[in-house]
Formats: sequence, structure tokens, C-alpha cells
Amino acid sequence: MNFLKRFDIKGKFSLLKEFFHDYVWKKSLLSVGIASFIFSLGFIQFTIPQFYISSTLREAESISTNGPSGSGAQALFSMASSEGDVFNEFRSNLYSYVVAQRMWEEGWGAKIYGTGDETEDTNKIDRRHTISENISSFLLGYDLYDYYSPHDLQDFIAGTVSFTKEIKGVNIYVSMMTRDPAFGLIFLNEIILVSDKYAKEHLILKSQAIIEGAQKQLAVSRNSAITASLSATINGEYLKIATLENDMPYNIYFIDPPYSSEYPVYPSTFSIFLSNFIIFIISSIMFHFIRDNKDNLW
Amino acid sequence: MVNSHFELHDYGGSLEYYIFELANYSCLVLLISIFYKLKYISINSLIVWSGIFFLPFVFNYFLFSPMLFPDQFTYAAELMSLKANGVSIPDIAAQYQADIAAKYQGTELAAIGNFLEINPITFTVSLMGLAPIPNYMTVAAIGNFLEINPITFTVSLMGLAPIPNYMTVTSLAFANKFFLFFSFLALKNFFKNENILLLLFLIPSFLLYTSISLRETLIILLGIFFLLNMLRDNYFIALLIMLPLFIVKIQVFAFFALYFIGRLIFRAHKSLSAIIVYSVAILLTTFIFEEPILQLINYYRIGFAAENMDMGNGVYGYYAFSIYGDIESLTIESMFELIFLAIIGLPKILLMPLPNSWTNIFYPIQFLESVALVTLYSFIAIKSKMLRNHEFIFLTFVLVLSLMLYSLLAFNEGTFVRYRFSLFLPFVFAIYYLSTLHQASPLKNKI
Repeated sequence: MNFLKRFDIKGKFSLLKEFFHDYVWKKSLLSVGIASFIFSLGFIQFTIPQFYISSTLREAESISTNGPSGSGAQALFSMASSEGDVFNEFRSNLYSYVVAQRMWEEGWGAKIYGTGDETEDTNKIDRRHTISENISSFLLGYDLYDYYSPHDLQDFIAGTVSFTKEIKGVNIYVSMMTRDPAFGLIFLNEIILVSDKYAKEHLILKSQAIIEGAQKQLAVSRNSAITASLSATINGEYLKIATLENDMPYNIYFIDPPYSSEYPVYPSTFSIFLSNFIIFIISSIMFHFIRDNKDNLW
Repeated sequence: MVNSHFELHDYGGSLEYYIFELANYSCLVLLISIFYKLKYISINSLIVWSGIFFLPFVFNYFLFSPMLFPDQFTYAAELMSLKANGVSIPDIAAQYQADIAAKYQGTELAAIGNFLEINPITFTVSLMGLAPIPNYMTVAAIGNFLEINPITFTVSLMGLAPIPNYMTVTSLAFANKFFLFFSFLALKNFFKNENILLLLFLIPSFLLYTSISLRETLIILLGIFFLLNMLRDNYFIALLIMLPLFIVKIQVFAFFALYFIGRLIFRAHKSLSAIIVYSVAILLTTFIFEEPILQLINYYRIGFAAENMDMGNGVYGYYAFSIYGDIESLTIESMFELIFLAIIGLPKILLMPLPNSWTNIFYPIQFLESVALVTLYSFIAIKSKMLRNHEFIFLTFVLVLSLMLYSLLAFNEGTFVRYRFSLFLPFVFAIYYLSTLHQASPLKNKI
């Protein structure tokens, strides 16, 4: 019982009861609670529901079956870097200006920034500028663009599309939030394919350059071994071009094509109501508490 | 409420963000008001704690981007995933599965390429498993528990804080504040002067690290309670407090284990000769187990160096190290080299970030704080005439030894300023507590 005496449970309990009666068990708190409910209702009206669109991809190219050369940590690092190459290349393509430009040419700029009028000129969509942008242009003396451009689409992609790969994992997750799931599904699918196509084009150009160079060497070569080697290179590069010139993705393949969440994942309505309720109630309690203890506090 | 779609929407800096976090703040303020009413804290503490609780609003999204401490997102996402779905986030789950796969292949070190990805606990247990003892059944059983991912374990503990919302990256910071406040109440049992205790809670880095969603709060608080209980000879309680550190931060566990063994077995806090005997024992052990120790140190050394490498143009981290890294120049070949490097690295780790590495406004502040903390440590010792106190000497010995070990790995200034602080602060609390004991009985433990 010494323990109870030391902590003065009875005394503390009566103080707690006093606190509850003085600040919590009050009629005004009920009004505050109702006010928080009305505030939350109003707040929710100004939020736009967002759906979650995502897709799971996997790198189509595997690392060499012979494994990395060298030993110990060097081999481990080389393995890590080769694994990251496809992912990094694809990621760089996805956020590149070239991809944004191609998406723009396919009419995505109009779909995102346009008014919905099909006769509208894609390159003449009016763009409003923020006050800070206007001030900056005035102070530094440069002109602001009056119309949306692929630069804006690139910013949109960078700000909306998330592209991640788990540590040590093999899957790549591409996702975005949008108010229109139908738009999101097509947009995400399209940007993945355009990014992949861009990578393929680079490889085709590279193969064509190798073929051209090899053919020149072949024309002047007198050594049968070199000729055979050059022929094999040309054959190999033609085969590569043949595999690249189709509609199938090259760097990646779809484990799970883009799909949308069934319901909006944002805003979290219940959390907003609960949080506002807590804020209103505790603010009211604290207001009365500070008012009663102001002599001690100041 | 838990944000089950945290990985999709982090509410960064939006109005919802402030609403969710303001609800957390309100609950904490209500809590301290009740504690004030119950006369557990003074009016000064009430005012100061209202301010301390407000700080998470000041740091993330206001003073700096939470990406300055990107680990916050991992901690927050893991907690929300555990609370909402009961499973870890894919990153951590994949890491765990890969560790298990590597373990069963029996080629842990060879199979795992990325230095970040290896579980430090698995690695340490593997090293400990080299000891030729006949039966590993109990060790294996404990091992399964200890192989919990440090992040999962940390957020499971921090997630116990009864705050209303775990919705954003800052929510865990309020959970940190909750534990911080109860630690303050508990520490009042150790320190008679509440105002001085309150001042110790106002050390800038302490305010910073407890206001973001990282595990530093947990490490610091466990460290403080471990040392204070050790100073009170409560070995069993100290051991219980130390155990979570094995998962949360294994290197801090190792440092405290040095203190625990030295104090309990060697009685190194009783005499200078005991400290010398203990030092010789440590030295002998390091030479006997030279190979695995060097392997462990080199492993972390290369890992931290790789993480810190930035060659520009987006080539950084392990990728950059795989191209430009020089493993041989980083590898420590002998124990003598290790000791030499640790000694010359000590001043740097004590005072970092040094002026030549200042890149933002926080660096000079942290440098000044480093100087101030070392000064405070010395000031308390000198003022309380403890320089010849064996307990103080042994505490300082362990602190210096720990910092020397850290100095071998300190490639990333920002990370090691944080690591150094979370190690140093518990010792400051311990020294201050020791000074209050010493002032009560100044003749005790003198040479």
C-alpha cells in the first residue's frame, strides 16, 4: 500500500475528475463538436477525389548467365550496376523531354491542358502564369510562353508518375494519382510504351551504325578470319534489328497492366472528420484551461 | 487513423497534412495539460513542452524538405503498412527474403552485392556463429527473433504511441515526442532539478532528431536509461533496456555491451588497474579475432564510402562506386592500422562537421554544437571535480573507444553527425547524473 500512498492515486484521481468536469464535461464542447462536423463537411467539398492507377513491370533483359567477372566485392558491385542499368535507362527515358515531346505529338497535351474541344489547336492552348512567374520574367527580362508546351507535359509526368523498384526486388512499379481513372489507365500504358519505344529506336540506330561500319570494313578486308567475324557481327545486328522492330516492349514486359483502384484513395474522409473533431475539441479545452491558469502562465 | 495509402499519397505540406498533424499536436498538448493539473510537471515544463511538441511542424516541409532525411519516408511507410495491412513494405520484405535465401545458400557475404542490403544482424550473428561452441539451438531460436528488420522493429515500438493519426511522414515525429515526454517524467526520478533536466532536453540536435521520423529518439532514450541504470547498479534493468538496441542499432549495442561487461565483470569503474586490465583484455580479443573484426569493419567502411560517393551527373552511391570506387585504398589490412586510423580520426568525429565540409546553414550550427557538447562534458567533469573519479574515467574510456570506432566509418558527414550525437548525448546525461551523485559524496571512488 506504500506504493499507492507514494503516488497518491486518490488525490490524482480527484484532480483528474476536477479537470474533466471543469474543461471536458461542458455543453459548449458539444457545440464545438458540431461546428467541427460542419467545418469538415465544407472542407471535403473543396477536395477532389483521386484514384490510384498502377502497373507492375519486369525488366525483360536478364544479366549474363555466366555471372560477373572478377572476385569478391568487385564482382558484387559489377552485378549491382548491371542490374540497375535497364531500370535507370528506362527511368531516364520516362522522365525525358523527348518522351514528353512524343506524348505531346500524340495529343496528350490537349487531353491534359485542353478544354476538350476537338477542333482546338494543340499548340495554342492558353496558359496562365503565377504571380511569381510574372515577377521573375519582369525582373530578369525574359518572355513567358503564352501556350502550353511539351515542357509542361514533362513537368506533369515528373510530378505525377512515380517509377520505383524495390531494393533487391525484380519488379518495377509505375503509378499515378488522377481524378479520371479512364484517362489514367490509357495515359500510364501509353507513357510506358513510348518510353520503351524510344529505347528501342536508340538500339536500332546503334545497330544500323554498326552494320554500316562493318560493311565498309568488309568491303576492304582481305583476311578471311576478320571477314568471318565482321559477317557474324552484321548478322547479329540484323537479328537485333528484327527483334526490335515489332510492337512488343523491349526493355520491360507487363506483369500487371495499368489498373485503377476501385474507389478514390484520396481524400481520407474519416481521418479529416476525426482530426478536425480533435482539433476543435482540444482547442476549446485549452482555451478554457489557459484562461483559468493565465496568472500562472504569464 | 492510419494512412493505408501512404506510398501513394504523403499529403506533403498540404492543408490535410497540417490538419492531421495538428490533431496529433493537440492530443499531446492535452496530455501535458493533464500532467500539469496532476502536478507531475511544473508550469515551466508545461510551457516548454508545448513548444517542443510544436517543433515537428517547424522542420519537415517548413525549414527543410523531408527529403533531407529521406529515411523518414521508409520509417513512415513501414509503420503505415504494418498498421494497415500487417505486412512490411515491399523494400523491407524483399530485403528480408533475400537475406534468408542467402543464408540458406550458406554464402551470405558472397551472394549479396549491395552493401546496404545485407542485414547487419544476420552478418553479426554469422560472425558470432564462428565461435566453436557445441550447441547452437538456443542461439538459433533467439536468432529468429533478432533477425527482425531494424526498421520494422523500431516502427513497431514507436507505433505504440497512442496518437490519433499516422497519416504523413511527420506523424512518427509526434510519436517520438510522446516517448520523449514520458522519458522526461521518468528522468525526474534521477534528476532532482527539473529545470536543468529541461535544459538538457533543449539541446538543438536533440530537438531536431526528436522532431523528425527517425529512430534516433529511441536510441538516445534507450542509451540514457541504460547508462543511468548502470550507474545505479541496476544491471538487470540495464540489460533489458540494452536488448532492443541489438536490433535497433547494433553498433550502439556493441558500445554499451563494452561498458556493461567492463563494469559488471571487470569492475572497471572501481580502479584504474581494473580499467587497464580491461583495456588489455579488449586489445587481446581484437588481436585474436583480428580477421573477422577487420572483415566487419572493412565491410561497413566500404559500404559507407560507397553510399557517400557522388561523381555528379546523377552517378552516385553504389553505382558510382562500382565504376570509380577504390576498394583497396579503403581496406584496413591489420589491427595496428585500424588502431592508428581510429586515433587520428577521433578529433574529426568529435568535432564534425568541420568547416571545410560546410555546405548549408545547418553545418556551422552543428559544428558549434559539437564544440559546445564537448565543452559541456568537460565543464561538468571539472566543475564537479570528477576528473579522478573512476566511474567518470571508465565512462569516458568507453565513449572515446566508441567514437574511435565510429571514426573509421565516418565518410558521410550528415549521417555521422547524427550517429555521433545519438551516442554522445546519453553520456552527457550520465556524466551530469554522476556529477550529482559525486557532489553528494565527493570522496567516493577517488584514486
